[in-house]
Amino acid sequence: MTLFHERWRRRVSLLASEALEESERASTLAHLEGCAACREELAGLRRLLDLVAADPVREARPEIPLRALVARVQARLDDAEAAPTRPHARPVAAWWPALAATATVVALLALPRSAERPAEPTQAQAQVPQVPPELLQRLEANAAREQAARYLSAAQDVLLTVAATPRDCDRTSGRVDMAAEARRSRELLARRALLELDHAQVAAARPVLDDVERVLRDVAALEACARSQDLALIHREIRERRLLMKIDLMTRELEG
Amino acid sequence: MERHHGRLYRIALSYLRDADEALDAVQETFVKAYRNVSRWDPDSEVTPWLTRIAVNHCIDVYRRRRRIVTDPEPQGGSDHDDRATASEPSPERRVLSRELAERISRALRGLPEQQRAVFVLRHYEGLTLQEIAASMDISLGTVKSTLHRAIHRLRERLEGLRA
Repeated sequence: MTLFHERWRRRVSLLASEALEESERASTLAHLEGCAACREELAGLRRLLDLVAADPVREARPEIPLRALVARVQARLDDAEAAPTRPHARPVAAWWPALAATATVVALLALPRSAERPAEPTQAQAQVPQVPPELLQRLEANAAREQAARYLSAAQDVLLTVAATPRDCDRTSGRVDMAAEARRSRELLARRALLELDHAQVAAARPVLDDVERVLRDVAALEACARSQDLALIHREIRERRLLMKIDLMTRELEG
Repeated sequence: MERHHGRLYRIALSYLRDADEALDAVQETFVKAYRNVSRWDPDSEVTPWLTRIAVNHCIDVYRRRRRIVTDPEPQGGSDHDDRATASEPSPERRVLSRELAERISRALRGLPEQQRAVFVLRHYEGLTLQEIAASMDISLGTVKSTLHRAIHRLRERLEGLRA
């Protein structure tokens, strides 16, 4: 393996990881056309990643309820209160970032805490500055919007590749290589379940997310070396639903 | 917390391959976040900050565990606890899933700490390379070369286990 090829090997690893920028991706695919060793390398890496994609750990959920976890965190914080730190001496100029930061972490930590400990506030709680509920809601809504926008953007990447007609994997039978897109779709479908759609600003994205989910399911169900007829049906669905345009508009709206 | 705990748990479980340690890691991540909230830049996103805390904690746990356990290979079983995996429809499927998880656990255990973290964040959590760089406080170039080395080393390990 020459030094020159070592560079391509790195590109092939990143291609298998779907982590190349478009220009690098195009030049790597062009290189693959004429390099049997790199094609073989890519096929091997994709087999590995398919195996990793089937790892049951991906579906794992914490086996204790969130409330119990919150209680454990609270208990650890209470224990640590023996050596308290002081927010009192902090200069005013430094106070606002800390307040906003605290607000977010309180938002992260506080949700079920009231249900867990309705009685006296602990020392840790007493030290946290009082944060207006509107600010908490705004931070929560922003985080939910960021999450939904990022998800749609990742889905758009997959659908763009699907719509752009991927590489042939078997020219004689007109089949195309959809292994990476199918795997990425499965990952996105798993992430979809974690999106928070309760906030009003994000709830508007639900119809687009549902459409995306439907098409991602079709892509996820494709064979690694997919029939072009199956792909054509997905193309039509993307076109008829005007999905790429809808994703684009909704992502921009979510990103403000 | 509700939004992040599932994601942080999966990162910790993918890295540590032990359900109890993963749960402890999530707990400690929130404790550290709460204590160090004044260090967080409110103009930046919460997710990479929490991810960085979780990954650093996992690396610490892994280092401590390595000091205690001298034999990195399990004897007749995985350190992956399948209580933590989703319920499967049949016993056969459960056995296959467990075997797969065990193989991947063994292979991942052979990766250096940083390679393991980069691989988990990319291939288990689907973070972009830029997000990984931000979460781990390393350069984009380092993420690329680390991911490349991780994926090849993992492949060698998995092929070795199959053989």
